[in-house]
Amino acid sequence: MSLLERVAHPDQTKAWYGEIPIQNRYTAGIAGERFFREIKDHGRFWGVRCPHCDLIYVPPRLYCERCFAQLEEWVEVPTTGRVHTFTVVHIDLDGNPLPEPRIVAFIQLDGTDGGLVHDLGEVDPEDVCIGMCVEAVFKDPAERRGSITDIRYFRPVG
Amino acid sequence: MARNRVAIVGAGMTKFVRRAQETAKELAWEAASKALESCEMTLDDIDAVVIGTAPEAFDGVHMKSEYLSDGCGGWGKPVIRGYVGGGTGVFAPIQGWYHVASGLFDTVLVVCEEKMSSCQPHPQGAFLTIFDHTTERPLGPNLLWIFALEMNAYMTRYGLSKRDIALVSVKNKRNAADHPAALLGDPNITVEDVLNSEVLAWPVQRLDVSPVTDGAVAVVMAAEHVARRVTNKPVWVEGVGWCLDTAYWTNRDLSYPTYVEEAARMAYKMAGITEPRKQIHIAEPYDPFDYKELHHLEGLLLFDKGKAPEATALGITQRDGDLPVCPSGGLLGVGNPIAAAGLMKVAELFWQLRGEAGARQVPGQPKRGVAQAWGDLMQVGTVIVLGV
Repeated sequence: MSLLERVAHPDQTKAWYGEIPIQNRYTAGIAGERFFREIKDHGRFWGVRCPHCDLIYVPPRLYCERCFAQLEEWVEVPTTGRVHTFTVVHIDLDGNPLPEPRIVAFIQLDGTDGGLVHDLGEVDPEDVCIGMCVEAVFKDPAERRGSITDIRYFRPVG
Repeated sequence: MARNRVAIVGAGMTKFVRRAQETAKELAWEAASKALESCEMTLDDIDAVVIGTAPEAFDGVHMKSEYLSDGCGGWGKPVIRGYVGGGTGVFAPIQGWYHVASGLFDTVLVVCEEKMSSCQPHPQGAFLTIFDHTTERPLGPNLLWIFALEMNAYMTRYGLSKRDIALVSVKNKRNAADHPAALLGDPNITVEDVLNSEVLAWPVQRLDVSPVTDGAVAVVMAAEHVARRVTNKPVWVEGVGWCLDTAYWTNRDLSYPTYVEEAARMAYKMAGITEPRKQIHIAEPYDPFDYKELHHLEGLLLFDKGKAPEATALGITQRDGDLPVCPSGGLLGVGNPIAAAGLMKVAELFWQLRGEAGARQVPGQPKRGVAQAWGDLMQVGTVIVLGV
């Protein structure tokens, strides 16, 4: 049986190549629309507060996942936060070494119950630590597209 | 086998639209919160959540139900996703039913969502890879081929004309004109409009087909002791059934859906229905294409084989006919956000049996209805019988 024998060469078995040809067009949604507009137009973060659960969601949401209330209390939140955890990425998706290691962190935004996963910049991997204070660095207004990559990276504060 | 009695106690849905700005989660939340509101319940009252949603490719999110879970009320709760392709919308409440009938949970929120507009350039692309990669895909088949081959087989077997079948599209799109959530309701559509629409793959024409749609629907299911406390109009799940035929469409009789008959027999037996034509007062068969309504009515044993078109022509399936069929407007009229479309049919029975269907209400205080969906590799039938 072929399963029991080693197929040493791909041509030994009959095979076809195919692909699943799907593209998708995603919307930011009702809450996301406002979040990304604020980033693009003003370089600032907005969250939304659930008065019942006393939580500030960032990224903002249309509803509270805990009590299901519609959320309407929008609040500006700081663009600073703390590194909750981080990793240093050394290879790309194909397994090739990156020219420079990339530092990726989950940043808990100050005064909120959420945060963002993003790159850290202007810092060496050996100097990053959990709990480190960081701030968002935005692209120039003309370069912003209303996307999460309008944030260049977070960098250490002070 | 001892089973607890289960009722549907609440239902809600979004408007069905061509392109929603809302994310899939936001659509799911809108339907789920409306369903809870309709029976004055909150998430705290819900023990478990069932999510029904069709291929990942539509929303473009893998692990789609995990992604959707917070919008479906799944935070901190037991959550499950069922998936039988287009049959999902009726299978999800079946899953909700056995969650409660088993005694494991008292209350279940069932949410079905689909956002097909994400999928570019057309959601049909998601189906290009459902075919056998060795015997079929090299020919470049698409979904319309199946429907066209089925429709032709059905028409030829029983000597039906395109006009006989177009009557279904006209009926459902006209019915949908009374549905506040409908995408394609049209009170003035005629058979000529259907017959003159663009030919896609003969005999299937543009207006024989339901539209690409975004939307979500939710229902709340409860054990008897909760249901009686929550509402004085519980709608009971009397029977459920589902069945899969062979995955080889070349080994099926394309002119008759045997798998629907098997699923219906299972549901009717559970419901104690021996004469479905007398005991079923409303039917919501799956109608993504006009001929499918006819196909499924026969599979549901509501008409003899090949006789559903004649009944349609006689007006029997109109809202005020002897057996109203798709009083909602069906997928052809309300829209076809796959999984949500099936659950829309269940919600329609819920509203009809409670006498809350407004302009769509069928006369005569119907007591029992059947909803059915169909899908997977075009070989699954899912059936639910509801009664008051």
